This record gives sequence, C-alpha cells and structure tokens, in this order.
Amino acid sequence: MRKALIFLLPMGVWMAWAQAPQTPPAGAPPAAKKEAFKNLAPVSKEVLKVKLPKAREVQLENGMTVLILEDHRLPQISISMDIRGGGGLLDPVEMKGLAGLSASLMREGTAGMTSKQIAEEVDLLATSIGGSASTTTMSSAFNMSGLSDNFDKWFALGVDIFLHPSFPADEWAKLKQRTLLSLRNQRTNPSFLAAERFDKLVFGDHPLSATSPTPANIEAITPEAMKKWHDERLAPQNTLLGIVGDISEAEILPKLKAAFGGWKKTDYKPVQPPNAPPNPELHIAIVNRTGSVQTNIVMGNVGIDRRSPDYFAMTVMNQVLGAGPTARLFNNLREDKGYTYGAYSRFSAGMLPGAWQASSEVRTGVTEGAMREFFNELRRIREEKVPAGELEEKKRSVVASFALSLESPATLLNYAMQRKDYNLPEDYWDTYPARISAVTADDVQRVARKYLTLDNIQIVAVGDAVKIGPILEKYGKVAVYDVDGKLAQ
Amino acid sequence: MKKTVARVLALAFACLALAAPKDVTIPFKLFKLKNGLTLILSEDHTAPTYSLAVVYNVGSRDEKAGRTGFAHLFEHMMFQGSENAARGEHMALITENGGSQNGTTDNDRTLYFETLPANQLDLGLFLEADRMGKLAITQSNLDNQRNAVQEERRLRVDNQPYGKTFEAVDDLAFDTFAYKHSVIGSMDDLNAASLQDVQEFFKRYYAPNNATIAIVGDFNTDEALAKVKNYFESIPSQPAPPRPDVSQPEQTAERRKQLEDPFAQFPRLDIVYRIPAGDSPDYYPLSVMSRILSSGQSSRLYQKLVKDAEVATSAGAFTGQRPGPSLEQISVTVRPGKDLAAVEKMVYEEVARLQTQPVEDWEMDKVHMVLRRSQVSGAQGTLNRAANLAETYVEYGDANLVNTEYAKLAAVSKADIQRVAKKYLVETNRSVVVTLPKARPAGRAGQ
Repeated sequence: MRKALIFLLPMGVWMAWAQAPQTPPAGAPPAAKKEAFKNLAPVSKEVLKVKLPKAREVQLENGMTVLILEDHRLPQISISMDIRGGGGLLDPVEMKGLAGLSASLMREGTAGMTSKQIAEEVDLLATSIGGSASTTTMSSAFNMSGLSDNFDKWFALGVDIFLHPSFPADEWAKLKQRTLLSLRNQRTNPSFLAAERFDKLVFGDHPLSATSPTPANIEAITPEAMKKWHDERLAPQNTLLGIVGDISEAEILPKLKAAFGGWKKTDYKPVQPPNAPPNPELHIAIVNRTGSVQTNIVMGNVGIDRRSPDYFAMTVMNQVLGAGPTARLFNNLREDKGYTYGAYSRFSAGMLPGAWQASSEVRTGVTEGAMREFFNELRRIREEKVPAGELEEKKRSVVASFALSLESPATLLNYAMQRKDYNLPEDYWDTYPARISAVTADDVQRVARKYLTLDNIQIVAVGDAVKIGPILEKYGKVAVYDVDGKLAQ
Repeated sequence: MKKTVARVLALAFACLALAAPKDVTIPFKLFKLKNGLTLILSEDHTAPTYSLAVVYNVGSRDEKAGRTGFAHLFEHMMFQGSENAARGEHMALITENGGSQNGTTDNDRTLYFETLPANQLDLGLFLEADRMGKLAITQSNLDNQRNAVQEERRLRVDNQPYGKTFEAVDDLAFDTFAYKHSVIGSMDDLNAASLQDVQEFFKRYYAPNNATIAIVGDFNTDEALAKVKNYFESIPSQPAPPRPDVSQPEQTAERRKQLEDPFAQFPRLDIVYRIPAGDSPDYYPLSVMSRILSSGQSSRLYQKLVKDAEVATSAGAFTGQRPGPSLEQISVTVRPGKDLAAVEKMVYEEVARLQTQPVEDWEMDKVHMVLRRSQVSGAQGTLNRAANLAETYVEYGDANLVNTEYAKLAAVSKADIQRVAKKYLVETNRSVVVTLPKARPAGRAGQ
C-alpha cells in the first residue's frame, strides 16, 4: 500500500503471531473496567488438523544439504541459504561485524562485474539477492528470490555473487563510510540503546553481548579479512539451502548441482562458544537520553536454547505472560492502566541460550507504575498457577494458528529449515501441536520460576535520568550511561 | 491497486521475450446488500484459511477542526466491546482460535481485518457485524484508549528522530484542513475528544452503506453470501455522510520551512510537489517516474547521492496514492558536513534530467519487471488481497482496479514521464522542509 499507515497494534505483533494489581499511582487514569466475557460468539470447537508439507531432502556431493518444497500457487521462487560458521558470533573480537559487512560487500563486486553492473542487473531482473550475518548468530544467510519467469538468469547472478565476490577495496571504503554513519544514526533510536545495554548486562563478556559492531571494529576490518571470511568460513558441508516456489524437483536439482558442484568441500568445522550463564547478580542501568518523553523499559536474563526440553513450556508461558495483545502484560499495562501503546515479553532461543525479556515504552510520568506492574506480573506467573481456562486459550491459539502458516511458502520453508538446522526429529512439526497441548500449569510455573528469576534480573531504562533515576533506585543500585554508551560518574 | 496489483495479460509486452508468464488475476464477485453494504467475495482453496477486511469510508480527512486524531482514536474504540462481545473479548476470540487481526487508519479510510482458520468463518463475521451494529461506547474505554493513542504518538512521533518532519510536510504543502493535519492528531485535540463525539461519529460513518467487506479464502461463495446477509443485513443504513472539501487552492510559489530536531543526527531534506488523485491519468507516469528515481540500488537517486557523490545516507522518491490531492515526495538524509544547498541542487538536477531527457530503455525494462514482481507478491496471502479489494472499491469505486492497475502502469511511455515531470515537478508547486539536528547542550550525562 503506497501510503503511511498507523495501526491499532505494532506491525510485528500481529504479523509474528504464527508463533494482582496494586493501586494505580497518582496521575494515572482510572483503570478501565474489567468485564466478564459473554461467550455469545459462534465458535467452531474443532481445531483444524494441519499437516505441513514435507520438504524433499538431498545431499550434494560436496556435502551441501538441499531442501526442496514445491509450491505452484504463484510464479515466484525463494532460496534461503544458512551457512553454519559464517555468522558474526565467530568473528574475531577486534573485528566484530566482519561477517555482516562481508556479506553486504558481496553484492558490491564479483570477478566479472562491478558494483553498478550488479545493481542494474539485480533491478532489471526484479530479483532480491543479498547476504547478511548478525553479530550474535553462528550462521550467516544468503537469500535470493524472484519470479519464476526469469529464474535461470537471477539464479545464475545470485550464485556468481555468492561464489565469486571480489571484495573491492574502493567499494569497501564507501561501505565503511556508510556503515560508520549508520552506527551513529542508530544511537538516536531509543530501542537500539535499550537493546544494546540490555545485551551487555545479560551476557557480560560473552560474544552474545555485542548487539552491534563499534566504529573501532569497522576500522579494523579489511578486504583481506573479508576474503578470508569467504574462503574459510563459508563451506558447502556446513550449508543448508532451502528452495520453495514454482519449481519441480526434477528440474531444479540438476540446476543446483551444476551451480554449486564446483564449490569444494573443506575441513572447516565451526566450534560453538560455550553457553553464557545467567547473570547471577541484579543490575540496573539507565541510558540517559535527554529530551525523552518516554521510558523504554527492558528486563530479563539468559533463557533457553532452541533444543531445550523446556521450549514448549516456555512457548506457552510466554503466550500467557506477554506474547501478544491478549496476554497479561498488554492487558495490564495498556488495556487496564493506559501506560503504553504496547507491553510484551519474548524469548530468543538459538544455537545458544538467548535472553528472555519483558519490555514496554511508557510515558515518563508513569515509569514507577509500569515498573511495579512488570514486577507484579513476573511475580504472579512465578507464584500462582495459570488458571485452566487461560492456559487452554493460550495453547489453543498456538495450535490453531498453525493453519495460517499454510498461506505462506516462506513460512513453510522456514519450518523445514529450522527442523534441519537444529537437528530436530523428523516428525517434529507433526507432533508440535500435541507437545504444546500437553503443557500443564505446573510446567508453566516451573519454567517461570526457573528462568524468570527476580533477585538477579537485569533491568535497562532509556529515558530522562533525572526523572526516572530515583524510581529505578528503589530496585537496586543504578548505573547511568550516556547515549554514546559511556558510564557517567 | 496500491503496490499490490494483479495483472492483465494483454499487457505482457513487458515480458514478451519470455514464455507466457503466469496470469495472476484476482477473481472476485461483488454484491450489494439491501442496507447498502458492499460485499466482495474471492474464493481460494489453496489453504484452509480466510481473511476478512472491513473498510469504512472515513479517515482523518473527515475530522473536524479541534478533533485531529479522532478517526484513529475511534478505530481503537472498535476493539473495546460491543453488545455481544465484552471488552477484550473480540481480540481474545480471534487470537485463541488461531487468528491474527489489526486495524489501521489513514487519511481516507479505516480498515479492520482478521485472518482465521477456514472453519471459523462465522466467528469473524459475527464479531464484525456486532461492532458495526452495536458498539459499546463508555467513558472509561474512551479515556483508556486515549492514553494508548497518546503513547502511540509519543512512541512514533515525539520520541523519534524526524517524527515531527512528517507532520510539517503535510502542514506546509496543503491549505485545506482535510489533508493538512496528521492522522495521529495533536495531544490537545485527543484530550478534547468526548463521548458524544464518539457516538456521533459511530452513527454517521460506521453504517453498512458506508462500508465494504471483502472476504478472500477457503469458503463457498453462496454460503458466505448467505452468512453475510444473516449477520449484517439487519443493520440499518444511515443517511450518506457529508464529504469534506479536499480541493486545494492553487499554489503559486515555493514554500519552505526549517525545523530543529533534538533527536536527529543528520540533516534531512523533504522536497514535495502537489499531484492529483491516485486514479487520475497522471498518477501512473508519476508512479513509474518515482521507481526510476528510487527503486533499488541502480536507481538514480541512490547511485548519484548515496553511492557516487557520497552526500547522503539515504535518498528516495515516492508517489502518494489516495482518492484526493496527494504528494510526490523526495526525501534525502544528508551526511554531516555536506552543504545542504548543494545537495538540494543535485536533486533538482535529477528533476531537470527527467524533464529534458527521455529515461533510458533499460530503466523502462526494469520498472516493468519490478511491477510484475510486485503484482505477484501482492497476490500472496488472503489478507493482501482482501484488504486491497475492499480499499480499492471504497477509494475509487472500482474493485477491478486491482487487476487493471498493472496495465495502466505498464502502458506509461517515456514521453508521459517527461510530460508529468515538467507539469508537476516545478518550483511554484514545491514545498521544502529542512530538518536540522538541534545542537545538544554541552556537558555529560548523568544525574
């Protein structure tokens, strides 16, 4: 839609679904009236049984794993590559960001094409081609997509960019300047400041603590280091390639073999860093952002990894606590108290345990009430069993929403790749609804008590330090940082 | 319509060299109920789901002076309960049955939507009909949602770099109230909204004859039609609401405004030109022109300002599309230390190039492929299609524009682009907003 829109709920909340109050503080509005549900709407009790299509798995001779999913609904094709070992988590400490920037620079020159030629060719074919790598993941990604009308052309271009990037020094000089400016610009964004400080509190010196490269990291990166990244850390035996769309397995497999057949297997076996333990002591940090009219509050600690046996219970616990606009945090902080546009919880579970967190942006004047309600909700889910009705609703929402994923080829491919990437059982998605349904109130309470510990919680507040400092101090010792990340005296 | 368009095969010249590209026309049937409600149905049995979009023909352009932000505040009230669904129950029912939902307001229309598993068709229809017919309006709900909306304003506008720039652009470029003020509205006006305002607005604008419903997905058309009649046809129609004057007196000279932004790190230039409505003949060449200026890394503005001269961190052009007067908008975030006037001059050099020289063949080829791709991706998912069909009908009176817009865009010639560039991208039709970072007070952080 070619216009600016505003929504009832933030975009991420409704898009991403397929996954004891005290007295209000002075100045707050009267809490809106709670009403019992009327239960008059016609609801089908049946939950649609959904069987996800199985991707065909093929191993190429060079060790690359391929997942193929045919979907002929529209004339389009998407390819996602997950390259274990290529991610920024394994970057040298002084060159954090190497993987991400190398992946970006791949599009700026190949053995046979200049940056401008690539840009024109990509746009002429209306394809999307590009690499990326986060500072906190084991894998880098390389994605290409476009119409099936001209697949052969854009696929050849994408493979050339992936296999033969030249990392030209003049293009790196330009990208470096653009990157340094964007590092500066992100410091104007309160959510970035909150995430950066939160990751440092939670993960300490662990490589997961680096939300973003520093300017010094960028200065240390060279085209030679990038070439080395490409030659050593991208290897076929560590690569999972998923393809979905208007293709037939019989036609696509020879094309994949021809394109990647010359990519030689290596001995590289990426070594995963050890898990980060939860930060054992309570920490509170304020990032003083002069002129802020809101306080961005984030709190949490280390949670679980993707293969954890607690994954199902955590999923349900998170649904109850704060996954969406019908969960407790939203109902309490927005619908009941009117403190915020939204309040949520989430947990990130990758190869290594990531953080669980609860967060909201509240106007400065209600920071105290918001902090109190966060703690009320965290205590409640730890201390009280989730009532049966609420538990059933939340489990049902996860299981029933599975049907919606069948609309999106990209989501179906993502499910298949997740299963393979984390080495989950063959029938993982077939049994997923049953595993979610089996979670009990005891399970929810057990994981809440195990991970949502309050005596060592990590708290970040970005806002006006003069106004919110005394409020945060009620929870413990507060360290104040400026927007450049420097500790104030 | 919008960037999600579907295609008509006659226009295949863009891809003539290729083996017959697949047609992605969106089929639909349109019905009028006795109470004036418009219903659009499009069956698609490829997934066990459906999306329901309800578009009311009302937006911020319909607000009265002193009540800016009201249309959007009202949208929030639609989630606060109705006769047969308690406060919070609507959202809970959609969610716990596996669905997703949201509402959105812009200048011209208000859209409510949900996507649900196919066996819950009755649920979605019941809930939408209940709040169209019998909304529960209470003071405590109003006060609560006023707070949520004001936090939304703080989050998106008052606490963000360039947040106020967007408001300044419309305020400067337009003279008539309808499009001069922002959708989110002012804090004072939001505070002034009363319960009586809510009741009047509901009665006037939330009537079936002012609404269009589109349903796309896994259902049978006859059954769905019967269900919609069952749930909606008893809701009484209302007199047609008055429409605001959106016409603008002619602009005769360039307008300029400078803002200081305490959160911005870099200066920003917003250069806008007034253009006609989104279904006017000139809209289409303007839209193609914007793609040549800023679609992809090969685009003129990116190559010149970001890549070669290295004077900008980002540069884009955008042709606004709505049923009334709109804007062609060029935005450039300027690198620190660069001469703003010189950067602005570089933009005008690109404008002059569009006016004096035909665009190149490869640029036209590129736009045709980009259009075809966005047509295909726009047809993905039931929600895209449902929202697009309902919005297009409400805004332009012809739902089939979703299928014919691609043809209109692909038919644009080089001469058309030159003509509209000369006609609209002129100094006397221009407004320029310059946003400058506000110097921070010296001294360190801390308490």
